[in-house]
Amino acid sequence: MAEITLEGLRFRYPDNPMDTLEALDLRIASGEAHALLGGSGAGKTTLLNLLSGLQTPTSGCIRFDGRDVTALAPRQRKVAQVFQFPVLYESLSVAAMLAVPLRNHGWSRRDAARRAAEIAARLDLAPLLNARSGDLSLYQKQLVAIGRALVRPDISLVLLDEPLTAVAPAIKWQLRRVLKTAQAELGATMIYVTHDQTEALTFAERISVLHAGRVLQTADPETLYEAPSHEQVAHFIGSPGMNLVPGEITAGRLWLAGHPLGGAPGLTDGACTIGFRPEWARVSAAPAVSPAAAGTSIGGVPVTVDAVRVLGTRLQQPEGLVGIRVGTTHVYTRQPIDVAPGCPGMLHVRPERLLVFRDGARVA
Amino acid sequence: MSGRRYDNRAWLGVLPVLLIVAFSAVIPLMTVVNYSVQDIFDMSTRVFVGFDWYRDTLRDPRFIDALLRQIGFSLLVLSVELPLGILVARSLPRASPRTGLLLVLIAIPLLVPWNVVGTIWQLFARPDIGALGAAVNALGIPFNYTAEPLHAWIVLLMMDVWHWTSLVALLAYSGLASIQNLYYQAAELDGAGRWQTFRLVELPRLKAVLMIAVLLRLMDSFMIYTEPFVLTGGGPGDSTTFLSQHLTTMAVGQFDLGPAAAFSVLYFLVILLLCWLFYTAVMRDRDGADVDAN
Repeated sequence: MAEITLEGLRFRYPDNPMDTLEALDLRIASGEAHALLGGSGAGKTTLLNLLSGLQTPTSGCIRFDGRDVTALAPRQRKVAQVFQFPVLYESLSVAAMLAVPLRNHGWSRRDAARRAAEIAARLDLAPLLNARSGDLSLYQKQLVAIGRALVRPDISLVLLDEPLTAVAPAIKWQLRRVLKTAQAELGATMIYVTHDQTEALTFAERISVLHAGRVLQTADPETLYEAPSHEQVAHFIGSPGMNLVPGEITAGRLWLAGHPLGGAPGLTDGACTIGFRPEWARVSAAPAVSPAAAGTSIGGVPVTVDAVRVLGTRLQQPEGLVGIRVGTTHVYTRQPIDVAPGCPGMLHVRPERLLVFRDGARVA
Repeated sequence: MSGRRYDNRAWLGVLPVLLIVAFSAVIPLMTVVNYSVQDIFDMSTRVFVGFDWYRDTLRDPRFIDALLRQIGFSLLVLSVELPLGILVARSLPRASPRTGLLLVLIAIPLLVPWNVVGTIWQLFARPDIGALGAAVNALGIPFNYTAEPLHAWIVLLMMDVWHWTSLVALLAYSGLASIQNLYYQAAELDGAGRWQTFRLVELPRLKAVLMIAVLLRLMDSFMIYTEPFVLTGGGPGDSTTFLSQHLTTMAVGQFDLGPAAAFSVLYFLVILLLCWLFYTAVMRDRDGADVDAN
């Protein structure tokens, strides 16, 4: 397994005025499970193809353990890939299929068979070694594809392109668990491409959020969730995403719709965007509860409750999402449902949790 | 009885189809079968001879020679046209604006009437004025397909390859076009070479269409008549006389209706047998594919 370094990696299609990928710098440690998270058109597939060598970058370089591999063909890079749906050699048995990458790289028949059996055992495929792809379920097929990617011990990097897409939702978690276990046991450097934040947040040690050809932020799941460096990241991560409302900074204080929310030391006056997660805020029926009791900011912001959605109960008290309107913006809070739609209420946000964005980037 | 009424009126509905099939297939075939068990002297004088004609035909060295030649020709045709067709299909660009044009160009030989194909090659290969024949002779290699059996076979094979390879190529192309690019990428990342990519990725996907190609080419070449008739007339000697030409000589040339009928029935049975073999093979494969889909 290798440490992967991208230096100023840029890609542009010949007839396109815009970069598909803009100068990208990224370091992925050896043995790391890394996720690339982004919507469609973010450049995920392009980055994947650059890593596997199917496409060549316009500029910049890719290093595996410090060795520049930018000019190498896919087969010389020691990269394996798992695709969105299982790509198998239908005429072969599972054992033969797992042995193909080894046999192609000079392994003897006996050694290849032993290593294939070893990988199959690790992926719970041992009873299926003699089966053909026609006898396998979609889940098992994708497992075989994963096995084929992991079978070479000298592989530098395993790429996973939305590998759970084809699998039934009920067993996605199962495949993810097997994959995660195998990754940890083999110490494989993996790059997992997905548009599904749950997959990314549960699989990866670190996540790079890709948007419009740029990496907005690379961080561990907690940091991405609690301290997104960019509005796009804040909005993309979480369900629902972070609330982003237009605000104002005047004289070192943060104002929302004309009401003070908290302090904003060290920031110049002017417009900004205020961000807070639904669970960092609470709406109470007017008149406001005392700030001391709620543990939130002084005063509160008067809002109208639009809708409530119960997601469960806690201590026999219904809990869920409350949709409210602040000025013209809709935001959500996650809290006990003790307000009703149409009612006026007071919004409190835990001041230490308030995030401030300017020009899309977080400043506080 | 469960209250459902049964009657035979449904047969009335099937009657037109039965009549058409009777006139188009059953009656002519039965006529031939009828001829094959009689010795016919003239329209009113005929003698029932049982299976004599069949016995004679199966012992006739000319029939056996024609059958062996036929089998040899069909196998030769298949062994050249299948690999060549796959090669042509593989070298065609995928999803390029030129592909459509190329496919049409490739298909042109398929549109040429069979006797025209024979005429084209008859002229092309003539040792005196034909572009091919004259050129080979000019190179100092004596070539005369009208006198040399080997030369006649070479020209015949070239003609059939020219005429029918495009069919295999088109079928193979349709099979190749259905393979997603991901499979090639996966093979590339697995370090597969060209031969391995062909064996592991392309060949399994081509199996079904190649089966059809083999079936079509085998049947067609087994029944070949027009082109060799125009090109060589079965000669030199009997060296390019295949089954159908031998049959025509017997039935039309010599008016040996009884032996010709027995011959026809045997010929028909051989082709039926080949069809059945292939149908079984294809269907078994199809069953396998159904299991695959589950």
